[in-house]
Amino acid sequence: MFWPKRIASIAIGIGACFLIQAVAGKMFDFYGLRLVALAGLYVTLAVSLNLINGITGQFSIGHAAFYQIGAYFTGYLSIHYFAAGAGKVGGPVVWLIAMMIVGALGATIAGFVVGLPSLRLRGDYLAIVTLGFGEILRIIVQNQEALGGAYAMKDIPTIQSLWLVWALAFLCIAVCRNLLKTARGLTFVAVREDEVASAAMGVDVTKVKITAFMVGSAFAGAAGALLAHYEGLITPQTFAMDVSFIILTMVVLGGTGSITGSVVAAIFLSYLPEYLRNLKAPDGGTLYVTGATCLQWMLTIFAAVVLIRWISRSLQFPLVQRLGLYAAAVVGALVIGKLLGFGVNLISGLAAIQIDAGQLRMAIFAVALISVMLIRPQGIFAHHELSLTWLRGLVSRKRPAEVSA
Amino acid sequence: MSLLQVQQLTIRFGGLTAVSQVTFDIAPGQLFGLIGPNGAGKTTCFNMITGVYKPTSGSIRFDGKAITGTPCNRIAGLGIARTFQNIRLFPALSVLENVVVGGFLRHKTTLTSSLAYLPSAIRETDAMKADAMKLLEVLDLQDVAHVRSADLPYGKQRRLEIARAMATQPKLLLLDEPAAGMNPNEKVDLMNAVKRLRDEHGKTVLVIEHDMRFVMNLCEQIFVLDHGEEIAQGPPEQIRNDPKVIAAYLGTPV
Repeated sequence: MFWPKRIASIAIGIGACFLIQAVAGKMFDFYGLRLVALAGLYVTLAVSLNLINGITGQFSIGHAAFYQIGAYFTGYLSIHYFAAGAGKVGGPVVWLIAMMIVGALGATIAGFVVGLPSLRLRGDYLAIVTLGFGEILRIIVQNQEALGGAYAMKDIPTIQSLWLVWALAFLCIAVCRNLLKTARGLTFVAVREDEVASAAMGVDVTKVKITAFMVGSAFAGAAGALLAHYEGLITPQTFAMDVSFIILTMVVLGGTGSITGSVVAAIFLSYLPEYLRNLKAPDGGTLYVTGATCLQWMLTIFAAVVLIRWISRSLQFPLVQRLGLYAAAVVGALVIGKLLGFGVNLISGLAAIQIDAGQLRMAIFAVALISVMLIRPQGIFAHHELSLTWLRGLVSRKRPAEVSA
Repeated sequence: MSLLQVQQLTIRFGGLTAVSQVTFDIAPGQLFGLIGPNGAGKTTCFNMITGVYKPTSGSIRFDGKAITGTPCNRIAGLGIARTFQNIRLFPALSVLENVVVGGFLRHKTTLTSSLAYLPSAIRETDAMKADAMKLLEVLDLQDVAHVRSADLPYGKQRRLEIARAMATQPKLLLLDEPAAGMNPNEKVDLMNAVKRLRDEHGKTVLVIEHDMRFVMNLCEQIFVLDHGEEIAQGPPEQIRNDPKVIAAYLGTPV
């Protein structure tokens, strides 16, 4: 009974990937398709970092380094051997799959090397080492003429396979979920929760940490291979520090340790900046906002955050009532913002400042992140996974005190 | 032959000698008490026996093997399990899952089968959960099996620590102040539970405890530590009347 079910679920998964490819192909132009591909890559990156960071608790902020290793390693191989090799293995897609495996292996070795200091370092110190590793790697690549140097590694044969991108994302999600469902996965969480107690219970903490680093980097490496062949051109800047931070932000925003959270946050955060980049005025021209409007909205958001934080801290109601209160708080904040808006408009000069809305996108991005972290510091999904049990529990939530009484 | 043999055990942290020249033997099936005033070095002894600290000098032999300086998890694998003075559960895991982690030592399936969720991994996980459930029944925790361990009341957290340690199937169980913060009734229950662990499950128990009545009633052999040094060793009656022990606990008459 096991294998038929398993084969069916794999078939459904691959079918879903082809469906994404078909639907996206109908709906979007080249630019839109690229966003769907990038979203898939970011899902893989966030979920794999979540294994290291969220599930095993090893604070790594150099995930882009493994992404980079996969991209440059396979990019280099493809430039030199694609013409001779692709035909022999049976077409470009098979070649790409082979490159994903090679990229994963390369990144796994790097993951092992970076995992080693994690045995001695904790928290912030490990974060500094992983960050340093990422930067060192980027600077080395930047200075290698053979890898394209600071300019770019170009002329990588482009093999754009959207379904493969999402197949990797699904595989990554499945692997992490599988691990968490087995007894072995519990030891990963145990290491995050208390290293000393884990060791005293016989858990090989060393092995767990290294395994997490190796599995997590393998997926980042495979994602790198896909990126290199999707774009055909990669630069060291593609893997700069801010990429590592965006991946980390996805993990934290979604809820550290929650696979569902990483997926949702990855899709949301890879889409939001692009949406904001393309804001247009109704007539199709550049959208301008005045300084006064900006200030008014900042005050509105501030009011909303303060109100929601106050409600979630001091009032305890069942979920439905609480959601109602939150909605009321947002309406209240809008009203307050509108009222303050009249005052703001009186400040001379503010209304005359014209700002291109597209330029504000990173600021809006930052405000959105800060607001979410203030309202829900444990992340959108906290440590929960999307499941029927959790949803049922949400509706009839019991307080911890009731459980233990 | 003794199960645990501690000889001339000494540890120094910088200039401070926390434990000095401690020597004792625990026979299989013994209920052994380790007592002493606060800061005497009792927990430090535990940490050396379980491999958290490496002793400066001296030796520890367990079951005929030298284990001085062996890593923590290997010592657990040899058959020494412990609880912690300041409870150290895995808060985010459920009660059942905490015990499953304790049983992971005997886990056989490979990483690949876990990652692929193959039938072998599923079967083994199910079997481990069933074993853990049986242990929870022994310690009367089966009703809270699926509660997050952080949400348990204090007394149950203490019992869960014992259940988790038992899951490693140890020969020697080290309990660090198991009765701390318990009321007299809970203490009696705990004492009976510990006695059952020895009588019915064949465990040897080394216990640190401040509650004199608890130790005197439970233990067959007691070791008294003060300022890191031995001041007395013997059966409870002898310890109770030892002038040095009385002085260490109550001070000397002026």
